[in-house]
Amino acid sequence: MEKSIESIWKEGFVNDEKLIAPKVNDLYNQKSIDIVSKFKRMYRINVIGIVVFSFIVLPMSYFSNIPYMGIMMFFLFNLILIVNRKTIFKLNKIDNSLNSYEYLLSFKGWTDELIAVNTKFSRFLYPYMFLALFFGFWCGSLGGDVPGDAIVKGFVSEYPNTPLVFGFPLVFIGIMLFVMLFLALVGGRIGKWDFNLGYGRIMRRLKTMIKDMEELKQ
Amino acid sequence: MSNDFYTTSILPHSGIIIKICRAYTDTQEDFEDYYQEVCLQIWKSKDRFREESKWSTWVYRLALNCCLTLIKKKKNNRQNVASDFEQKEIGAENNVFEDESLNMLYDAIRKLSEIDRAIILLYLEEKPYEIIAEIIGTSSNNIAVRITRIKERLKKLLDGKIN
Repeated sequence: MEKSIESIWKEGFVNDEKLIAPKVNDLYNQKSIDIVSKFKRMYRINVIGIVVFSFIVLPMSYFSNIPYMGIMMFFLFNLILIVNRKTIFKLNKIDNSLNSYEYLLSFKGWTDELIAVNTKFSRFLYPYMFLALFFGFWCGSLGGDVPGDAIVKGFVSEYPNTPLVFGFPLVFIGIMLFVMLFLALVGGRIGKWDFNLGYGRIMRRLKTMIKDMEELKQ
Repeated sequence: MSNDFYTTSILPHSGIIIKICRAYTDTQEDFEDYYQEVCLQIWKSKDRFREESKWSTWVYRLALNCCLTLIKKKKNNRQNVASDFEQKEIGAENNVFEDESLNMLYDAIRKLSEIDRAIILLYLEEKPYEIIAEIIGTSSNNIAVRITRIKERLKKLLDGKIN
Protein backbone atom coordinates (compact mmCIF):
# COMPACT_ATOMS: atom_id res chain seq x y z
CA MET A 1 0.00 0.00 0.00
CA GLU A 2 1.24 3.46 -0.89
CA LYS A 3 2.05 5.72 2.03
CA SER A 4 0.53 9.18 2.28
CA ILE A 5 2.88 12.14 2.36
CA GLU A 6 1.61 12.91 5.87
CA SER A 7 2.63 9.47 7.12
CA ILE A 8 6.03 9.66 5.41
CA TRP A 9 6.62 12.97 7.16
CA LYS A 10 5.43 11.76 10.55
CA GLU A 11 7.34 8.50 10.43
CA GLY A 12 10.44 10.22 9.10
CA PHE A 13 10.46 12.68 11.95
CA VAL A 14 9.31 10.39 14.74
CA ASN A 15 12.24 11.59 16.73
CA ASP A 16 12.86 15.27 16.07
CA GLU A 17 15.83 15.29 18.43
CA LYS A 18 17.75 13.27 15.85
CA LEU A 19 17.91 16.37 13.69
CA ILE A 20 21.34 17.86 14.17
CA ALA A 21 21.50 21.61 14.05
CA PRO A 22 24.66 23.03 12.51
CA LYS A 23 26.88 25.08 14.76
CA VAL A 24 26.17 28.78 14.62
CA ASN A 25 29.61 30.17 14.00
CA ASP A 26 31.75 31.73 11.34
CA LEU A 27 28.64 33.16 9.74
CA TYR A 28 30.35 36.43 9.04
CA ASN A 29 33.39 34.95 7.35
CA GLN A 30 31.86 34.85 3.90
CA LYS A 31 29.98 38.10 4.44
CA SER A 32 33.08 40.00 5.46
CA ILE A 33 35.01 38.72 2.45
CA ASP A 34 32.06 39.67 0.21
CA ILE A 35 31.73 43.21 1.52
CA VAL A 36 35.46 43.94 1.27
CA SER A 37 35.76 42.53 -2.24
CA LYS A 38 32.70 44.53 -3.31
CA PHE A 39 34.27 47.70 -1.97
CA LYS A 40 37.61 46.89 -3.65
CA ARG A 41 35.85 46.27 -6.95
CA MET A 42 33.92 49.55 -6.77
CA TYR A 43 37.02 51.46 -5.73
CA ARG A 44 39.12 50.02 -8.57
CA ILE A 45 36.42 50.84 -11.13
CA ASN A 46 36.33 54.37 -9.74
CA VAL A 47 40.09 54.79 -10.02
CA ILE A 48 40.16 53.36 -13.56
CA GLY A 49 37.32 55.76 -14.42
CA ILE A 50 39.45 58.69 -13.24
CA VAL A 51 42.41 57.57 -15.39
CA VAL A 52 40.23 57.16 -18.48
CA PHE A 53 38.50 60.48 -17.90
CA SER A 54 41.81 62.31 -17.41
CA PHE A 55 42.88 61.20 -20.89
CA ILE A 56 39.50 62.01 -22.45
CA VAL A 57 39.39 65.50 -20.97
CA LEU A 58 42.60 66.58 -22.75
CA PRO A 59 41.46 66.21 -26.40
CA MET A 60 37.91 67.22 -25.41
CA SER A 61 39.09 70.52 -23.96
CA TYR A 62 41.38 71.11 -26.94
CA PHE A 63 38.55 70.70 -29.44
CA SER A 64 36.23 72.80 -27.24
CA ASN A 65 38.77 75.65 -27.31
CA ILE A 66 39.35 75.47 -23.55
CA PRO A 67 42.75 73.71 -23.50
CA TYR A 68 43.94 75.28 -20.22
CA MET A 69 41.06 73.71 -18.38
CA GLY A 70 41.90 70.32 -19.92
CA ILE A 71 45.56 70.53 -18.93
CA MET A 72 44.76 71.62 -15.37
CA MET A 73 42.13 68.88 -15.02
CA PHE A 74 44.54 66.30 -16.42
CA PHE A 75 47.07 67.14 -13.72
CA LEU A 76 44.39 67.15 -11.06
CA PHE A 77 43.03 63.72 -12.00
CA ASN A 78 46.50 62.26 -12.06
CA LEU A 79 47.22 63.74 -8.66
CA ILE A 80 44.03 62.07 -7.38
CA LEU A 81 45.31 58.86 -8.92
CA ILE A 82 48.69 59.11 -7.16
CA VAL A 83 46.99 59.79 -3.81
CA ASN A 84 44.61 56.85 -4.28
CA ARG A 85 47.29 54.46 -5.51
CA LYS A 86 49.05 54.84 -2.19
CA THR A 87 45.87 53.93 -0.34
CA ILE A 88 45.25 50.90 -2.59
CA PHE A 89 48.66 49.53 -1.61
CA LYS A 90 47.65 49.80 2.03
CA LEU A 91 44.34 48.06 1.31
CA ASN A 92 46.14 45.10 -0.24
CA LYS A 93 48.30 44.85 2.85
CA ILE A 94 45.32 44.00 5.08
CA ASP A 95 45.93 40.49 6.35
CA ASN A 96 43.00 38.32 5.25
CA SER A 97 44.10 35.49 7.51
CA LEU A 98 42.72 37.50 10.44
CA ASN A 99 39.41 36.46 11.90
CA SER A 100 36.32 38.12 10.38
CA TYR A 101 35.96 40.69 13.13
CA GLU A 102 39.59 41.80 13.05
CA TYR A 103 39.57 41.74 9.27
CA LEU A 104 36.54 44.03 9.13
CA LEU A 105 38.04 46.30 11.78
CA SER A 106 41.27 46.58 9.76
CA PHE A 107 39.22 47.32 6.67
CA LYS A 108 37.19 49.92 8.57
CA GLY A 109 40.48 51.48 9.73
CA TRP A 110 41.60 51.66 6.13
CA THR A 111 38.35 53.32 4.98
CA ASP A 112 38.62 55.83 7.83
CA GLU A 113 42.11 56.70 6.63
CA LEU A 114 40.86 56.93 3.05
CA ILE A 115 38.07 59.30 4.11
CA ALA A 116 40.52 61.42 6.14
CA VAL A 117 42.98 61.67 3.21
CA ASN A 118 40.22 62.49 0.74
CA THR A 119 38.65 65.02 3.08
CA LYS A 120 41.99 66.86 3.38
CA PHE A 121 42.57 66.56 -0.34
CA SER A 122 39.07 67.87 -1.12
CA ARG A 123 39.95 71.19 0.57
CA PHE A 124 42.47 71.67 -2.22
CA LEU A 125 40.61 69.81 -4.96
CA TYR A 126 37.45 71.92 -5.22
CA PRO A 127 39.15 75.35 -5.24
CA TYR A 128 41.57 73.98 -7.83
CA MET A 129 38.68 72.66 -9.94
CA PHE A 130 37.04 76.06 -9.78
CA LEU A 131 40.30 77.70 -10.83
CA ALA A 132 40.69 75.25 -13.71
CA LEU A 133 37.16 75.88 -14.94
CA PHE A 134 37.56 79.63 -14.51
CA PHE A 135 40.85 79.85 -16.39
CA GLY A 136 39.65 77.37 -18.95
CA PHE A 137 36.80 79.61 -19.98
CA TRP A 138 38.65 82.88 -19.27
CA CYS A 139 41.57 82.03 -21.54
CA GLY A 140 39.56 79.97 -24.03
CA SER A 141 38.21 81.07 -27.35
CA LEU A 142 34.74 82.35 -28.13
CA GLY A 143 34.20 83.19 -31.79
CA GLY A 144 37.92 83.94 -32.17
CA ASP A 145 37.99 86.26 -29.12
CA VAL A 146 39.45 85.50 -25.70
CA PRO A 147 36.43 85.78 -23.37
CA GLY A 148 38.54 87.01 -20.43
CA ASP A 149 39.97 89.94 -22.42
CA ALA A 150 36.53 90.92 -23.67
CA ILE A 151 35.12 90.86 -20.12
CA VAL A 152 38.02 92.94 -18.73
CA LYS A 153 37.72 95.46 -21.58
CA GLY A 154 33.97 95.82 -21.04
CA PHE A 155 34.41 96.15 -17.27
CA VAL A 156 37.22 98.73 -17.49
CA SER A 157 35.31 100.84 -19.98
CA GLU A 158 32.29 100.79 -17.62
CA TYR A 159 34.38 101.48 -14.48
CA PRO A 160 37.54 103.28 -15.68
CA ASN A 161 38.78 103.96 -12.12
CA THR A 162 38.79 100.27 -11.13
CA PRO A 163 42.20 99.20 -9.73
CA LEU A 164 43.95 96.49 -11.77
CA VAL A 165 46.40 93.84 -10.58
CA PHE A 166 48.45 92.27 -13.42
CA GLY A 167 45.70 93.41 -15.79
CA PHE A 168 42.87 91.92 -13.72
CA PRO A 169 40.25 94.08 -12.03
CA LEU A 170 40.85 93.84 -8.27
CA VAL A 171 37.19 93.12 -7.65
CA PHE A 172 37.41 90.00 -9.89
CA ILE A 173 40.39 88.75 -7.91
CA GLY A 174 38.48 89.42 -4.70
CA ILE A 175 35.45 87.43 -5.89
CA MET A 176 37.66 84.59 -7.08
CA LEU A 177 39.54 84.44 -3.81
CA PHE A 178 36.28 84.49 -1.89
CA VAL A 179 34.85 81.57 -3.91
CA MET A 180 38.09 79.61 -3.57
CA LEU A 181 38.24 80.25 0.16
CA PHE A 182 34.62 79.17 0.51
CA LEU A 183 35.29 75.97 -1.49
CA ALA A 184 38.37 75.28 0.64
CA LEU A 185 36.25 75.61 3.76
CA VAL A 186 33.40 73.38 2.58
CA GLY A 187 35.61 71.13 0.40
CA GLY A 188 35.96 68.55 3.17
CA ARG A 189 32.21 68.26 3.52
CA ILE A 190 31.68 68.06 -0.23
CA GLY A 191 34.33 65.32 -0.33
CA LYS A 192 32.57 63.33 2.40
CA TRP A 193 29.21 63.79 0.67
CA ASP A 194 30.74 62.64 -2.61
CA PHE A 195 32.25 59.58 -0.90
CA ASN A 196 28.92 58.71 0.73
CA LEU A 197 27.18 59.04 -2.59
CA GLY A 198 29.31 56.24 -4.00
CA TYR A 199 30.13 54.12 -0.98
CA GLY A 200 27.56 55.18 1.64
CA ARG A 201 25.49 52.03 1.38
CA ILE A 202 28.43 49.68 1.66
CA MET A 203 29.85 51.70 4.57
CA ARG A 204 26.55 51.48 6.44
CA ARG A 205 26.53 47.70 5.90
CA LEU A 206 30.08 47.51 7.18
CA LYS A 207 29.20 49.44 10.34
CA THR A 208 26.12 47.25 10.95
CA MET A 209 28.20 44.10 10.53
CA ILE A 210 30.85 45.28 12.95
CA LYS A 211 28.15 46.27 15.46
CA ASP A 212 26.45 42.87 15.10
CA MET A 213 29.74 41.07 15.57
CA GLU A 214 30.54 43.09 18.65
CA GLU A 215 27.16 42.07 20.10
CA LEU A 216 27.81 38.47 19.07
CA LYS A 217 31.10 38.51 20.92
CA GLN A 218 29.42 39.62 24.15
CA MET B 1 24.08 36.05 20.02
CA SER B 2 24.15 34.88 23.59
CA ASN B 3 24.22 31.17 24.28
CA ASP B 4 21.21 31.61 26.57
CA PHE B 5 19.06 33.05 23.83
CA TYR B 6 20.11 30.34 21.40
CA THR B 7 19.46 27.57 23.92
CA THR B 8 16.16 28.84 25.24
CA SER B 9 14.54 30.52 22.25
CA ILE B 10 16.00 28.98 19.11
CA LEU B 11 17.12 25.46 19.91
CA PRO B 12 13.63 24.26 20.91
CA HIS B 13 12.52 25.25 17.38
CA SER B 14 15.64 24.08 15.60
CA GLY B 15 13.69 21.08 14.27
CA ILE B 16 11.41 23.19 12.14
CA ILE B 17 14.23 25.53 11.14
CA ILE B 18 16.20 22.51 9.92
CA LYS B 19 13.17 21.14 8.05
CA ILE B 20 12.55 24.50 6.35
CA CYS B 21 16.20 25.08 5.47
CA ARG B 22 16.52 21.57 4.04
CA ALA B 23 13.58 22.25 1.75
CA TYR B 24 15.24 25.34 0.31
CA THR B 25 18.79 24.13 -0.15
CA ASP B 26 20.55 21.67 -2.43
CA THR B 27 23.80 21.20 -0.58
CA GLN B 28 25.00 20.71 2.99
CA GLU B 29 27.04 23.91 2.73
CA ASP B 30 24.00 25.96 1.71
CA PHE B 31 21.92 24.28 4.38
CA GLU B 32 24.39 25.30 7.08
CA ASP B 33 24.54 28.87 5.75
CA TYR B 34 20.75 29.13 5.63
CA TYR B 35 20.39 27.67 9.12
CA GLN B 36 22.90 30.14 10.55
CA GLU B 37 21.36 33.06 8.73
CA VAL B 38 17.89 32.14 10.04
CA CYS B 39 19.23 31.91 13.60
CA LEU B 40 20.94 35.24 13.21
CA GLN B 41 17.83 36.89 11.80
CA ILE B 42 15.75 35.54 14.69
CA TRP B 43 18.26 36.94 17.15
CA LYS B 44 18.47 40.28 15.37
CA SER B 45 14.69 40.63 15.10
CA LYS B 46 13.81 39.35 18.56
CA ASP B 47 13.00 42.85 19.84
CA ARG B 48 10.34 43.17 17.15
CA PHE B 49 8.41 40.20 18.51
CA ARG B 50 5.17 41.74 19.83
CA GLU B 51 3.53 38.62 21.26
CA GLU B 52 0.65 39.04 18.81
CA SER B 53 1.30 35.46 17.79
CA LYS B 54 3.07 32.53 19.41
CA TRP B 55 6.86 32.64 19.45
CA SER B 56 6.90 29.41 17.42
CA THR B 57 4.65 30.93 14.72
CA TRP B 58 6.90 33.94 14.59
CA VAL B 59 9.96 31.71 14.24
CA TYR B 60 8.27 29.82 11.36
CA ARG B 61 7.46 33.07 9.60
CA LEU B 62 10.93 34.46 10.04
CA ALA B 63 12.61 31.23 8.94
CA LEU B 64 10.46 31.05 5.81
CA ASN B 65 10.97 34.70 4.92
CA CYS B 66 14.68 34.38 5.48
CA CYS B 67 14.92 31.28 3.25
CA LEU B 68 12.81 32.94 0.55
CA THR B 69 15.10 35.98 0.61
CA LEU B 70 18.23 33.86 0.48
CA ILE B 71 16.93 31.74 -2.37
CA LYS B 72 16.01 34.90 -4.29
CA LYS B 73 19.49 36.32 -3.77
CA LYS B 74 21.00 33.04 -4.88
CA LYS B 75 18.85 33.00 -8.01
CA ASN B 76 19.90 36.55 -8.85
CA ASN B 77 23.53 35.52 -8.48
CA ARG B 78 22.96 32.65 -10.85
CA GLN B 79 21.05 34.68 -13.41
CA ASN B 80 23.87 34.58 -15.91
CA VAL B 81 24.55 30.90 -15.42
CA ALA B 82 22.95 28.29 -17.65
CA SER B 83 19.38 27.49 -16.70
CA ASP B 84 20.16 23.81 -16.13
CA PHE B 85 21.80 24.97 -12.92
CA GLU B 86 18.32 25.67 -11.56
CA GLN B 87 17.12 22.24 -12.51
CA LYS B 88 20.12 20.56 -10.94
CA GLU B 89 19.34 17.11 -9.67
CA ILE B 90 19.68 16.71 -5.97
CA GLY B 91 22.72 14.61 -5.28
CA ALA B 92 23.18 11.86 -2.74
CA GLU B 93 24.80 14.45 -0.50
CA ASN B 94 21.37 15.81 0.28
CA ASN B 95 19.87 12.50 1.31
CA VAL B 96 20.60 13.25 4.91
CA PHE B 97 17.68 11.51 6.60
CA GLU B 98 17.79 7.90 7.72
CA ASP B 99 14.35 7.28 6.25
CA GLU B 100 14.63 6.76 2.49
CA SER B 101 10.98 7.70 1.91
CA LEU B 102 11.56 10.98 3.69
CA ASN B 103 14.55 11.72 1.45
CA MET B 104 12.36 11.12 -1.59
CA LEU B 105 9.61 13.30 -0.19
CA TYR B 106 12.14 16.08 0.37
CA ASP B 107 13.41 15.72 -3.20
CA ALA B 108 9.84 16.12 -4.40
CA ILE B 109 9.21 19.11 -2.11
CA ARG B 110 12.31 20.83 -3.50
CA LYS B 111 10.78 20.60 -6.97
CA LEU B 112 7.83 22.76 -5.88
CA SER B 113 7.76 26.54 -6.12
CA GLU B 114 9.15 28.46 -3.13
CA ILE B 115 5.71 29.39 -1.79
CA ASP B 116 4.31 25.90 -2.27
CA ARG B 117 7.26 24.54 -0.33
CA ALA B 118 6.47 26.90 2.55
CA ILE B 119 2.80 25.91 2.56
CA ILE B 120 3.37 22.17 2.44
CA LEU B 121 6.00 22.32 5.19
CA LEU B 122 3.58 24.12 7.48
CA TYR B 123 0.81 21.71 6.53
CA LEU B 124 2.99 18.68 7.25
CA GLU B 125 3.86 20.24 10.60
CA GLU B 126 0.12 20.16 11.27
CA LYS B 127 -0.29 23.89 11.51
CA PRO B 128 -3.95 24.93 11.24
CA TYR B 129 -4.98 26.55 7.95
CA GLU B 130 -5.57 29.85 9.75
CA ILE B 131 -1.98 29.91 11.00
CA ILE B 132 -0.58 28.94 7.58
CA ALA B 133 -2.72 31.68 6.02
CA GLU B 134 -1.43 34.16 8.60
CA ILE B 135 2.18 33.21 7.99
CA ILE B 136 1.90 33.25 4.20
CA GLY B 137 -0.41 36.27 4.13
CA THR B 138 -3.49 34.89 2.41
CA SER B 139 -6.90 33.40 3.29
CA SER B 140 -7.56 29.96 4.80
CA ASN B 141 -9.69 29.03 1.78
CA ASN B 142 -6.82 29.76 -0.58
CA ILE B 143 -4.54 27.65 1.56
CA ALA B 144 -6.97 24.71 1.54
CA VAL B 145 -7.24 24.78 -2.26
CA ARG B 146 -3.51 25.20 -2.67
CA ILE B 147 -2.71 22.31 -0.31
CA THR B 148 -4.95 19.97 -2.31
CA ARG B 149 -3.09 20.93 -5.50
CA ILE B 150 0.32 20.62 -3.89
CA LYS B 151 -0.51 17.17 -2.53
CA GLU B 152 -1.61 16.05 -5.99
CA ARG B 153 1.63 17.37 -7.46
CA LEU B 154 3.66 15.60 -4.78
CA LYS B 155 1.80 12.36 -5.37
CA LYS B 156 2.62 12.58 -9.06
CA LEU B 157 6.26 13.30 -8.30
CA LEU B 158 6.41 10.37 -5.89
CA ASP B 159 4.30 8.08 -8.03
CA GLY B 160 5.57 4.53 -7.81
CA LYS B 161 8.61 5.50 -5.79
CA ILE B 162 7.21 4.93 -2.34
CA ASN B 163 5.43 1.90 -1.08
